[in-house]
Amino acid sequence: MPQAPDTEAMDEHLKDVVQALHGAVNWAMPHLNDPKIVDKAIQDCKEILDVVIEGKVSEWLK
Amino acid sequence: MFSDKIELKDFEKMDPEYQDLLKRVLAIQADCEIGGPHLYVENILPTAPTKLDQLIVARTAAEEIDHYRKIARLAGEIGADVSYVLSRPNQERYVDAFRGEITSWEHFAVFGFLIDRIGRYQLEEFIGCSYVPLERILPDVMREEAGHIDFGTTKTAELAAKGGESKAKVQKALDYWYVKALDMFGRSDSYRSERYRHWGLKRRTNAQAREQYIKEVNPLIEQMGLQVPDPDKGRHYS
Repeated sequence: MPQAPDTEAMDEHLKDVVQALHGAVNWAMPHLNDPKIVDKAIQDCKEILDVVIEGKVSEWLK
Repeated sequence: MFSDKIELKDFEKMDPEYQDLLKRVLAIQADCEIGGPHLYVENILPTAPTKLDQLIVARTAAEEIDHYRKIARLAGEIGADVSYVLSRPNQERYVDAFRGEITSWEHFAVFGFLIDRIGRYQLEEFIGCSYVPLERILPDVMREEAGHIDFGTTKTAELAAKGGESKAKVQKALDYWYVKALDMFGRSDSYRSERYRHWGLKRRTNAQAREQYIKEVNPLIEQMGLQVPDPDKGRHYS
């Protein structure tokens, strides 16, 4: 059975996306009283998620 | 009833109906997984009540994207490219519940309480299913979905317990999502649902799953001091 195009590449890309999001959240969780750290993590998540939501898939795998 | 266990290497030998149904159910599941973040990230991530809530919204979105990834990989392995659901407008989603946007914390809470719970029901259909690679991904995905459901249920209960305007807003959100949740099970007389069961890709009829869901959520709604919405008002499927 031939795989659909870009199955592996998309899987790897999304793994990186998810890892980056978890990294930002896990970094901030122990520092909830430090607005600088938490706000930076939330901003990082927002920037990553905005790209996912925008959905320009062809640009992700360039 | 088909009871064999199918691995990826067997897929090409399967009846075309089985191949089509598996591709279809994976496409719908992928659409629902990525459909959640598309509903709430833009409005709720920046406005969630606390920093902790904001981080939990981000983590929830990350987990849903990962669920999409796992389903998309399974689909890709059998030749089905489901990446189109990453860029489609919300209005074109397979399931009506994902066709709008969530703009308030009350709606986000109830979405977790009611709609993520449907996600759990959908995933439960695949426990022991005939396509083994699908069953293999279930434990992690279901564990994370359980976390989303718990968070939504806790927040819904907290908002209801505040009373007054907060309770009224959460009741309104409940009224909105309850009928959408019941519709997500599909038509009780669905022919396709019977074929899924025939091929061992689902376990329950749509009506059975819907009935179990109602028995599970109605007591929870009542315990929160909220009113169970009219199950027929605004329904598309019965």
